[in-house]
Amino acid sequence: MLSRSANQGEDHQSRFELNTLLETSRMLVESQDMDFVLNNLLLITMGKLMVSRAMVIIYQPATDNYKVSKSKGRNCPPEGQYLSFQFGDKVREQSVIQCGIDDIELPEILEGDHRCTLFNLRTSNNHIGFLCLGSKGNDQPLNEHEIEFIESLSIISSVAIANSRMFTELRRINRKLDRKVYELNTLFDLSKDFNIMVDRQEIVRIFKFAMLGQMLIRKFFFILEQDGEREVVTASGIRTTPDPADIDTLFEREQDLIEVDQQLADDIPFLAENDIRAVIGLHFQHEKIALVGVGSRANGEPYSSSDYNFLRSLGNLALLSIQKTYLLEERIEKERLEEELNIAKGIQKGLLPDPIPGCDKLDIAARNISSSQVGGDYFDILETPDKRLLFAIGDVTGKGIPAALLMANLQAMLHVLLPIDISLTEATGQVNDIIHRNTPADKFITFFWGILDPDDLSFRYVNAGHNPPVLFRADADQPQELQEGGLILGAMPTLNPYEEQTVPLSSGDLLVFYTDGVTEAMNPDRSEEFGKQRLLDCIRNHRSKSSEEIEQAIIKDVQSFADGDQSDDITLIVIKVN
Amino acid sequence: MKNLNINHRQVGNYDVLELIGELDAHTASQLEKVLKRLINQEKHNIIVNCEDLEYIASAGLGVFMAYIEDVRSVGGDIKLSNMNPKVYNVFDLLGFPTLYDIVPEEEEAIQKFESDESE
Repeated sequence: MLSRSANQGEDHQSRFELNTLLETSRMLVESQDMDFVLNNLLLITMGKLMVSRAMVIIYQPATDNYKVSKSKGRNCPPEGQYLSFQFGDKVREQSVIQCGIDDIELPEILEGDHRCTLFNLRTSNNHIGFLCLGSKGNDQPLNEHEIEFIESLSIISSVAIANSRMFTELRRINRKLDRKVYELNTLFDLSKDFNIMVDRQEIVRIFKFAMLGQMLIRKFFFILEQDGEREVVTASGIRTTPDPADIDTLFEREQDLIEVDQQLADDIPFLAENDIRAVIGLHFQHEKIALVGVGSRANGEPYSSSDYNFLRSLGNLALLSIQKTYLLEERIEKERLEEELNIAKGIQKGLLPDPIPGCDKLDIAARNISSSQVGGDYFDILETPDKRLLFAIGDVTGKGIPAALLMANLQAMLHVLLPIDISLTEATGQVNDIIHRNTPADKFITFFWGILDPDDLSFRYVNAGHNPPVLFRADADQPQELQEGGLILGAMPTLNPYEEQTVPLSSGDLLVFYTDGVTEAMNPDRSEEFGKQRLLDCIRNHRSKSSEEIEQAIIKDVQSFADGDQSDDITLIVIKVN
Repeated sequence: MKNLNINHRQVGNYDVLELIGELDAHTASQLEKVLKRLINQEKHNIIVNCEDLEYIASAGLGVFMAYIEDVRSVGGDIKLSNMNPKVYNVFDLLGFPTLYDIVPEEEEAIQKFESDESE
C-alpha cells in the first residue's frame, strides 16, 4: 500500500514534469524573444527546485568571458556585468557541474555559496553559456531526478536561445537590406527629380534635405568650385564660415574620404567647432570640384563604408545635376548670342543698298557675300542731290561684331556727308579723322569711293588704301588701276589731304571694285590664293557680257577655286558704261 | 505629379500642421517654409499630423532634421502623429523613432507636450 502510493506520487510528479517540459518547450520554441526565454528558464527552475538565487550567463566568444544576461535573487551579480572564468574546455563540454561535489576547481560564482550547480546551455555545436543555480533552501544537493529535469529544460531553452539569436540576426540583416533598398530608391527618385530641374538652388536644397533625412544628420555643408571660386553653397546647422585657406587645404587632400581626427580638428578649427566628422571630395571630369562635410549621425551610429558610399553617390548625383544646369545655361547663352547675331546680320543687310540705284547710261551689279554671320565688308551706291552716283567699297579689319559695328559707323558717316557740298578729298579726310579718334589703334578700314557724273561720264575718286579697282577701257586689253588717294582710314590723323583723281569714261568701259575676299580666297589645301591674275583673266573672259553676268562669273570662279570654303567676306561692284 | 497641402491649426498653445499628400523632393521646401515661419514667430511647440500623408521621401525627412535643433534649443519640439504604417515604416527604417516622439494620435502628442513641461 505504502509503496504503491509512493509509486503513484512519483508517477504524478513525472507527469507533471513532462507537462511542464512540453508546455515550456512549446512556449519557448514559439518565442523569438531571448529575454522571455531566459526569464522562464529561471522562474521554472527556481520554483521547481526552490532555489532563491539563479542566473544565466552567456558566453562572449569575442572577449572570452561571460555576460550576466539575467539574474534573480539576493546578492546575484547584476545583469549586464561581465564575469571572467578560467574554465577549461573540459568544463564547457560537461552537461552539469556541481560545485563542492564534482572534482573541478571553480571560483565562487554566487557570493557565499559553495554548492552552486551549473547547467551547460549548448546546442550540438555551440556553447551558449550556463544556467547557474544557488544551493537549495534545505541546503541539500540536487537529486538525480531534479538534475535530469533541469538538463532537459536547459536543452529546450538552448534551442530557443539559438532560435531567437538566429531570428534577431535575420531581422538585422533584413533591416539592413531594407535600408539598402531604400537608399537605392532615394538615389533613383532623386536622379529622376534632378533630371527635370534647372534651378540650381532647388537641386542644392533637395540634396541637403535628402542627405539630412537619409543619414540622420543635422550638420552638413556643401562646397562647390565654380569659375575658380570655392564657396559654401548650402549648409545646415553650421554656425561658422570656413576659412578660404582651410577650404583649399581640404581640397588639396589626396584622399577623397577624410575622416576628421584630432590632428585635422586642431588644424582646421571650423571642423571641430561644427562637429564635422567626415569630408568627402567629389569629382567632375577627373577634377575635385566639390566637398561634402557631414556631422555625426543623430542616432549615435558611426558611418559605415556603405554609408560613405551612399553619401558619395548622392553627392555625385547632385554635382552632376548642378554641372548640367551650367552647361544648359551656356547652351542657352550661346543660342541667344546666335540669335542676336542673326538679328545683327539682318540689320547689316539693311545697311547695304537695296534696290541698287540705276542709271540708263550704266549697267550696275553689286554683291556682298558674308563669310560669318556679320562681316566687315561694306559697299554702297547712292544718288547725290544733284543726280550723280556715289560708289563706295570698304573692308574693315577683322570680323564679327567689332568689324560690323565699325562698318555701320562708316555707312552712317557716308549717308550724313552725302547731301553736304564738300569735296571727296575733304570728306575722306574728315571720315579718317573720326575713325582714327573713335576706334582702337588696331582697327582700320580700307576704303575706296568715287562719284560718277552721268552727264559727262567723268569719274572722280579717292582710294584710301583699298585694293585698287580695275578699269578696262573698251579698246584696251590691260586694265588701269585706280590707286590715287592716301592712307588707309583710321591709321593716323589726316596730315596731308587725300589726293583725288578724275578719269573720263566712255561707252564700253568696265569698272570692277572688289575686296580682298576675292583675291585672297584660298584653295582647299590652303597653299595658294585666288590672286589678281585669275580675277583679271575672268573679267577678260566675260567682259562682253552684262555686269550681272561678269559678277556671277567672278563669284563662281572664286567659289570653285576655294571649293566652297569661304573664309572672308566677298564684295564686288561691276559697272559697265553702256 | 501629386502635391502637398499643409493645413495649419491652433490647438491651445500648440501649432498643428496637417500634411496632406506627398512629402518628397518637390514638396519638401513647402514644409520648410511653414516650419521656418512658425519658428520665426517663436512658435516652438509643433505637432505634425500625418493622417493624410501618403508618401514621404528622404528629402521630406531631412526637413525635420534641419529644424529640430532650432525648436529644441528653445525648449520646444516637433512631435509627429497619426502616421499610416507605410509612412511610419520609412521613419522607422531611417531610425527616426529614437529621436522624435511619434505617437498614434494627435491628442497623445499634446499630452506628451504637457508632461514634458511639467517635468
